[in-house]
Amino acid sequence: MKLKKFLALAMTGAMALSMTACGSGDKKDDAGNNTSNTGSDNTGSNTGSNTGSNTGNASGAKEEVTLTMWGAEEDQTMLREMADAFIEANKDAVDLTIQIGVQSESTAKDTILTDVETAADVYSFPNDQLNELVAAGALMAIPDEMGRADIEARNTSGSVAAATVDGKLYAYPRTADNGYFLFYNKEYLSEADVASWSTMLEKAAAAGKKVTMEMNSGWYTYGFFKAVGLDSTLAENGVDTLCDWNSTTNSVKGIDVAQAMLDICKHEGFIATEDAEFVTGIKDGSIIAGINGVWNANAAQEAWGDNYAATKLPTFSAAGSEHQMYSVTGCKLVGVNPHCKNVGWALKLADWITNEANQVKSFELRGNGPSNINAAASDAVQANIAIAAFAKQQQWAAVQTVGGNFWGATETFGQTLQDGNPEGTDLQTLLDNMVAGITAPVQ
Amino acid sequence: MSKKNKSQANAMDDRMVAVEKEPNLFKAAFLALKNGDWAVKCSALWMGAGYLARKQYVKALIMTLYEVAMLAFIFVVGMPYLADFGTLGTVQLEYVFNMQTMKNEMNDYDNSFTILLFSVITFVAIVILFFSWLANLRAVHKLQKRAEAGKHINSFKEDVKSYLNEKFHITLLSLPVAGVVVFTVVPLIILIAVAFTNYDQQHMPPDSLFDWVGIENFTRLFTNGLTATFGYSFKTVLTWTLIWAFFATFSNYFLGIMLAKFLLNKKTKFPKFWRTIFVVTIAVPQFVTLLLIRNFLSDSGIVNSLFAQAGITDFLKDIGLVAEHLDYVPFLSSPGWAKVMVIIINIWVGVPYQMLVATGVLLNIPADMTESAKIDGANEWHSFWKITMPYMFAVTGPTLVTDFVRNINNFNVIYLLTQDVYVTTNQSLALSKAKEIDLLVTWLFRLTQENYNYKMASVIGIMVFIICAIFTLVAFRSLTKGDKERMFQ
Repeated sequence: MKLKKFLALAMTGAMALSMTACGSGDKKDDAGNNTSNTGSDNTGSNTGSNTGSNTGNASGAKEEVTLTMWGAEEDQTMLREMADAFIEANKDAVDLTIQIGVQSESTAKDTILTDVETAADVYSFPNDQLNELVAAGALMAIPDEMGRADIEARNTSGSVAAATVDGKLYAYPRTADNGYFLFYNKEYLSEADVASWSTMLEKAAAAGKKVTMEMNSGWYTYGFFKAVGLDSTLAENGVDTLCDWNSTTNSVKGIDVAQAMLDICKHEGFIATEDAEFVTGIKDGSIIAGINGVWNANAAQEAWGDNYAATKLPTFSAAGSEHQMYSVTGCKLVGVNPHCKNVGWALKLADWITNEANQVKSFELRGNGPSNINAAASDAVQANIAIAAFAKQQQWAAVQTVGGNFWGATETFGQTLQDGNPEGTDLQTLLDNMVAGITAPVQ
Repeated sequence: MSKKNKSQANAMDDRMVAVEKEPNLFKAAFLALKNGDWAVKCSALWMGAGYLARKQYVKALIMTLYEVAMLAFIFVVGMPYLADFGTLGTVQLEYVFNMQTMKNEMNDYDNSFTILLFSVITFVAIVILFFSWLANLRAVHKLQKRAEAGKHINSFKEDVKSYLNEKFHITLLSLPVAGVVVFTVVPLIILIAVAFTNYDQQHMPPDSLFDWVGIENFTRLFTNGLTATFGYSFKTVLTWTLIWAFFATFSNYFLGIMLAKFLLNKKTKFPKFWRTIFVVTIAVPQFVTLLLIRNFLSDSGIVNSLFAQAGITDFLKDIGLVAEHLDYVPFLSSPGWAKVMVIIINIWVGVPYQMLVATGVLLNIPADMTESAKIDGANEWHSFWKITMPYMFAVTGPTLVTDFVRNINNFNVIYLLTQDVYVTTNQSLALSKAKEIDLLVTWLFRLTQENYNYKMASVIGIMVFIICAIFTLVAFRSLTKGDKERMFQ
């Protein structure tokens, strides 16, 4: 009996063990990769391939270089074409192989930080991930001798600023369209209607339709606070966040902004949606206007046809006056992993992907707004409704750099407002709690 | 089932007695060193020596190779890492770009995680070597005694044969044991070790080093303040984890039994058809079902549009179950609704398993018991509670405990149903990246996957382990009190 008991115990124990251990099992795998990589990195880059390339040059044989690149699923064909052109252009100097993998840009950071050493050599990501990637050593600062000045000269200053940390340029701007503006359906709303939240909401409610934006995201709600001069920025240590959104001394107080947001949330003509729900909503006709970005321009155009329109963000009313809502100056960037064995060629590839010709191509194929000054000045780009709206908004836009605790706290705050503040908590308390969360040291 | 168990247990008891007669490994090895001849003493240094002296050449070779391989691994591969174990590395990664070669030249940097990993593996290797050294001493000493007594000494072929016959259990067990060591013990030791370091997003190898911090992380898990809310979140999440485990386990258990009862009832028409229908839910992969349900029940999902059209949403608003300003039912997006929904959905996903188990057990209840009860005037209800349930409890008690532990760790249902849908409105929870609906495991998972906070995740992992262990111990103790099996013989 005793033994039986022991056996049963041991088995349940082992079960609990194996369950709790599954998380670290993954880690072990990663570490396995780590070690195999460090091994080859050290020997490979310091001795093996150095001598290889030196002797290679002497004997006139071409060096063999393999690069991996990650991009969004919908960009795969385009990236392949660009990569093939790059191989062709450099075929005299080097024997290149480029492998392209699918990695959604919005989660690029998550995948790369899991294991920097096995991540792709060249990858695309939105600029709000820049700080964390730099902090984790996942981005190579572009050396001056690799044409840094040229990159800074050919791209818009906003996109260059969005790729710079501490005076070092860490990535190549690929697009300058990663911000939000207003899409609307001309069938229901005129250009005058969409100038302010209040008119727009009234019209929508009267038509039994909805205006939408994503409320539980600090990326969007930033636009309300920035509009009245309240800010959220990265602290000196590059990890924590400074925030004065709960200010009671500003000409427009934090609580006034929160009240304005809550009024919008509670309005009959408003519904809070996420990205996917926004698309569903415009397709089924329930949504007639919404704050979103170029990535959904095609969906909106298809759903609304000739009535499709886009413009700058509306104004909102706080403390008795109207304030122009802000947007973020966002870009998609292409970065290079410093753990890449052939980092020079990786830098050249990133440079190639983001040059003027390829930005024009990316606009034509995927509707991406170019960060390249010449490409952006072309008539075709100027005529694009979504990109024009984005450009129009740019005078009320800022580069958003925040630390890790910003997102969770603003998400929670937005969700509370979106729920209509059901417990009736004092708005100042909500703001104070949020700011405490945002500014708490990351641990 | 019970009889078979018994005979097995008896056999094992016998074996246990046989084992107990021998002195333990340490004593045997000590005696070998003390009383053994020169060959035995020699094998303290050279593990093959004892076998060589008895002309077991193949075995001698194998043991020599084993010793050399283990020592080579420990000293050549393991020692450099072990030397850094105290600091977890001191050389930070640095690199310069060399324009000539177009490559980054990196320094010989330390990777804290690799150091930790290889140190642990080396530790395990040392322990294994130590015990095999002891066992080897005992074995060669035994061999010496056999030789002295003039008994037959096995040839290599005979040894191999014995592992397929009388020592077959060793052959059978060696692979699972090796698997447990590699896939469970080593990661577990690493998990525990990480809990005492500052391995998080600010200290991520290879770019940065992490270091030992003592019990700082454990203190953090139990403290609460305005800027550190792990204490509060741990309490909240733990409470919900236990509530969830309780309801998830017992709802499935009782409903499974009732369903089985219902299907076994002679009055039920087409029992096979019904059983098949329920088993189909098992056939469909769980994550597919769960993700589909999540979409059905989302705020703008199909169930909500049906509810709105049918006026159910308005009705729920009227009776106060849905907040006034909402025009949808927040099935998976408000704390109250989500908690009830996950338990209900879990019933739907889990009951078929329980039904299958219960069907088997119910068929085993001796019919004479229920019949005699019927003759004594007991109705269905009475015989269910007085005969069926006690019997079920006695037989399935241990599975109930494992079910409870499994539900504490029931990652799938909670994570798949609420990830990306549920946003907490509690700033204290948000600061430590927890949600009201989180179980300890899902919280742990998101801490590692979304926040790279490996140190706190490890601490929570250890807590989960302690909770499961304590619960299992206590529950089994009370379950195995008295011999309930005999009650039903």
